[in-house]
Amino acid sequence: MRQSDLPRIIAALKLPLEDFVRESRVRIVLLISGAGQVLAQHGFTRSYEVMNVASLAAAATAAAGALAQMTDARRWTHMHQAGKEQQLFIAPVRTPGVDLILVAIFDRETSLGIVQLFFDRLGRTVSGLPEFQQRLEQATQQSFERDLEAGLQRVLTDNTPSEG
Amino acid sequence: MSDLISEAVNRLSRVHGVRGAMIVETEAGLPILAELTEGIDGSAVAALASSLFRRTDQAAINAEFGAVSIMQLEADGGHVIVSNAGDVLVVVIAEKIAQLGLVRLEAHRAAEALR
Repeated sequence: MRQSDLPRIIAALKLPLEDFVRESRVRIVLLISGAGQVLAQHGFTRSYEVMNVASLAAAATAAAGALAQMTDARRWTHMHQAGKEQQLFIAPVRTPGVDLILVAIFDRETSLGIVQLFFDRLGRTVSGLPEFQQRLEQATQQSFERDLEAGLQRVLTDNTPSEG
Repeated sequence: MSDLISEAVNRLSRVHGVRGAMIVETEAGLPILAELTEGIDGSAVAALASSLFRRTDQAAINAEFGAVSIMQLEADGGHVIVSNAGDVLVVVIAEKIAQLGLVRLEAHRAAEALR
């Protein structure tokens, strides 16, 4: 995603993500592009944490996509890992313009069923946003690092982290 | 176990006025087995009913009333009854006209059988 598209995309995602956090009661959430560009976040306080989670989630999504193709499972809807205290939910948000990835971390305050339920609503909202109706140009290799940094700086300064 | 679950859901959905019955995983809020009439979003009902039940149960425990065995929601159009079977919940969606006593009894029996 190009740096020039980022401000309106980040602004458009802010409210839907806030609604998702409030309704689903997840602790931490991150919305990134398929390349790992950070577009929205809640719950993180340090940029390096966001960077790490974003890049790992993008890699996990790419690996899961490849695995789905190899096993004829086609497109996958979500990945879930249940830990003792916390659970991880990673899912693609498909829009006409671009595919995004949602990463959510939650605890016993909520459940996988609730996260899935409100994730489906978030996906419908985001895929209906005017900002995602046309194919968005992807960052070039040269501009990728600069755009990645720009997205990260913007979401960390625009969104004051708050507890759900 | 799966026969037991099927039988419990079957019995419940045969009660007059019952629009659907589900066995739901308590922690995850995901349906294990469901028999629902068309138009009911089973996943949504399962997630929300289990979430509400867990909170109600926690409130009852904090108030030193012990665990909740059955929770009943009454709305203009009908009832949602949730019976506690430990790791799973029995969730019944019933119309206003349903014989509530019978629905509750069957939900309780199903929960006892699944414990």
